[in-house]
Amino acid sequence: MQKFIPSVLVAAISVSLTACIQSEKQDEKVEINKNPYPSTYQVLPQQTTIIRNATVLTGTGERLDNADVLMLDGKISQVGASLSADGAVIIDAKGKWVTPGVIDVHSHLGVYPSPSAESHSDGNEATQPNTSEVWAEHSVWPQDPGFNRARAGGITTLQILPGSANLFGGRGVTLRNVPSHTMQGMKFPDAPYGLKMACGENPKRVYGSKKVSPATRMGNMAGYRMAWAEAVEYKRAWDKYEADYAEGKNSEAPARDIELDTLKGVLDGEIKIHNHCYKAEEMAMMIDLSKEFGYHAGTFHHAIEAYKIADTLAENGNCAAMWPDWWGFKMEAYDMIQENVAVVDSKANSCAVVHSDSATTIQRLNQEAGKVMYRANENGFDIKPKDAITWITANAAKSLGIEDKTGSLASGKSADVVIWNSNPFSVYAQAEQVFIDGAKVYDRFDDKYQAVSDFSLGQQ
Amino acid sequence: MKLFKASLLTLALTSTASAYAESIAVTNATIHTMTEQGVLTNATVVFDEGVITAINPETVNADTSIDAGGKTLTPGFIGSMNQLGLVEVSAVSSTRDSSEKKANITFDASAAFNPKSTVIPYTRKGGITTNISVPRGGDDMFKGQAFFADLSGEFDSIRMTDVAVIVDLGAKRKGSRAMEIQKLRHKLQDTKEALSKAKKDKKDAKKPKRADQAINALLAGEKPMIAYVDRATDILALLALKKEFSLDLVIAGAGDAVSVADEIAQAEVPVIMGAINNLPSFDALHRTLASASTLFDAGVNVAYSVSGDTHNLYMLRFDAGISVANGVSKENALKAVTANVADAFNIDAGRIAVGKKADLVLWSGDPFELSTRVEQMWIDGVETSTLSRQDALRDRYTAETNMPRAYVK
Repeated sequence: MQKFIPSVLVAAISVSLTACIQSEKQDEKVEINKNPYPSTYQVLPQQTTIIRNATVLTGTGERLDNADVLMLDGKISQVGASLSADGAVIIDAKGKWVTPGVIDVHSHLGVYPSPSAESHSDGNEATQPNTSEVWAEHSVWPQDPGFNRARAGGITTLQILPGSANLFGGRGVTLRNVPSHTMQGMKFPDAPYGLKMACGENPKRVYGSKKVSPATRMGNMAGYRMAWAEAVEYKRAWDKYEADYAEGKNSEAPARDIELDTLKGVLDGEIKIHNHCYKAEEMAMMIDLSKEFGYHAGTFHHAIEAYKIADTLAENGNCAAMWPDWWGFKMEAYDMIQENVAVVDSKANSCAVVHSDSATTIQRLNQEAGKVMYRANENGFDIKPKDAITWITANAAKSLGIEDKTGSLASGKSADVVIWNSNPFSVYAQAEQVFIDGAKVYDRFDDKYQAVSDFSLGQQ
Repeated sequence: MKLFKASLLTLALTSTASAYAESIAVTNATIHTMTEQGVLTNATVVFDEGVITAINPETVNADTSIDAGGKTLTPGFIGSMNQLGLVEVSAVSSTRDSSEKKANITFDASAAFNPKSTVIPYTRKGGITTNISVPRGGDDMFKGQAFFADLSGEFDSIRMTDVAVIVDLGAKRKGSRAMEIQKLRHKLQDTKEALSKAKKDKKDAKKPKRADQAINALLAGEKPMIAYVDRATDILALLALKKEFSLDLVIAGAGDAVSVADEIAQAEVPVIMGAINNLPSFDALHRTLASASTLFDAGVNVAYSVSGDTHNLYMLRFDAGISVANGVSKENALKAVTANVADAFNIDAGRIAVGKKADLVLWSGDPFELSTRVEQMWIDGVETSTLSRQDALRDRYTAETNMPRAYVK
């Protein structure tokens, strides 16, 4: 080797490489289509609109009194005083309140629709502990009348999740709450997918009763760890294929695995975890699990005991999605406190979210947030409406990974807006007008903007 | 534990008051009496030995006087159609005593009532002082008998058992709904005939079976029959039965009652419904948030119950508020959680009047508002706390401590 002078060595190597490429032509690269069911959502007819003289909660922690909101080209253009724009529709909102569109991070509308019928019970592929291969969007019945009810409550965006019988329930999908006769017509463009995971009682009950693992909480953890270990191997195989291909090698692509595609998406940081997980000790373990396998543990849903580990959640950047007051229906819901959301919210860098998991309360997520605010303030907190609104707007958007698009009335965000007839944290509050991307999708006083599901149409 | 039959209730009213009870006057209150007296402002109510003794007396004579500062005083709200005290944790089977496979019309679950359930103090946060628990029953269409209890948390809190017969009709998972309504009709007919035969032929009269005694009580109009049903045709069928057998009928659920609101009003049948149930089922295609308003407008006496898990019972006042936002007057909504519930079950509660039990709630504001809380509550004349286990947990986890939280008590 020492005999060769450097220039000869370089020449020799380059000759042999060229020879290799010439003799082994690369096959076409195997690419996985990550968006095979793309959104066909179209913004509904919209106009430049100015809402005048309202009490505005921006979702960025601000309250502006007697303020205007300008919606231009489907975006929030400005929030401020005495705004004007050519040809704008003017809405006098004196005495009314304006907030960002409400976002529910946990819904089963469309997959467990109304009427409740066996034929439409499509929310949980409860056939094996890991069904990461299923996608909730493939179950959505867009005609669920619940979507219309939710819109009347100011819901502009919602995540539809699979149920919680499985350790890995499958992918959730984020929808715009517009009427459509296809799922794709509702799909939120470019929203990341979510992966539903579930801790605790449900998986161990559902599978344990069938004498299939998991039957215990330790079985749950073992099931997650085995799946993530496999996913890490799968990712490694694909990464190696990608690297080899980039180097010009004609290596063989790994066998496609739809289940592992989803877990790999999490490891790649493209899919967010949405983890049904009530209890403090389990959430703490799920955070350690995520560190063991190199992903982020995402949002804990139904996090009844989040208040016990509020520091841990904030330090690790986890959102917690919570009810104000549901409890007692099972052991893991026994330690509810009405101030849970407020305790989580009180920590720096926290992400407290109020969610519904209900076709009924999704219609009043504003009131659900209000209950927390008032109960917390009775017990030593000082939470204002401008803060509480973030639990159902900005923080929810962050949980879903769409905070750059919606969740606040910041300039350039989608014009997702609700006009309320009064303080939205009153039991008497009603959403009067709802806008998505600047288009009016609901008007309490105008039949023209009250959608009716195909199911409800023409019923006697 | 004292069990009271209806006829003993009056006696019970005077005998149960605790020896330590003192006379209390609440002055300067806005009192919603739920009686012909209506709403009284700057008013005074005096109670002693558990019973209201005076409203606006010329001179106030009481051991303790509480200035309400103009705030609202209402009768304690009444929960109904739930399993309060019968279920501690819904998914823990050993804590559930509300159903039994072989339960029939005689099933009285009150012997299982646990006044120490954690659900009770939490429910008091909603201004609820008394409750009608109903059994969930078993395979039979008759689920059993309802009972009436206060939320004092004391061992003697059951006020009355066998308050009403609960029957579940309408949509069925297996078989036809027609069979159930037919069975009910036959049961009423057969029992009525047997009763009339027994009257004629007194010599051979045997004591009727317990189940038949319960049907006899229905035929005599001695207690209400609460029928769960949603579809309009089922409601009409029940109205016909009421007419034929002179039943004291109450419709519960009542999803599509709006479709036959006038018929229900004409038959003078009360309706117990979830005020916020607005999602369609095939039996209830027409329910909306305005359903309660439509029924009230038609002249129906509406009472509200909270649907779903009993642990959510404290939300009753919010449901009433939502009904107000959807067209019900505040006074009617207040009736729907007090007097109208009492009337539907024929129980002595839900009104502020001399001689009534002192079940009272003083509110920090509008009783239906999210921002309002219960300031003071009296059950049977005794001030009762609204603190619950949830408060203890909150305090533990918001306390400053350098020790494990298990040491914070």
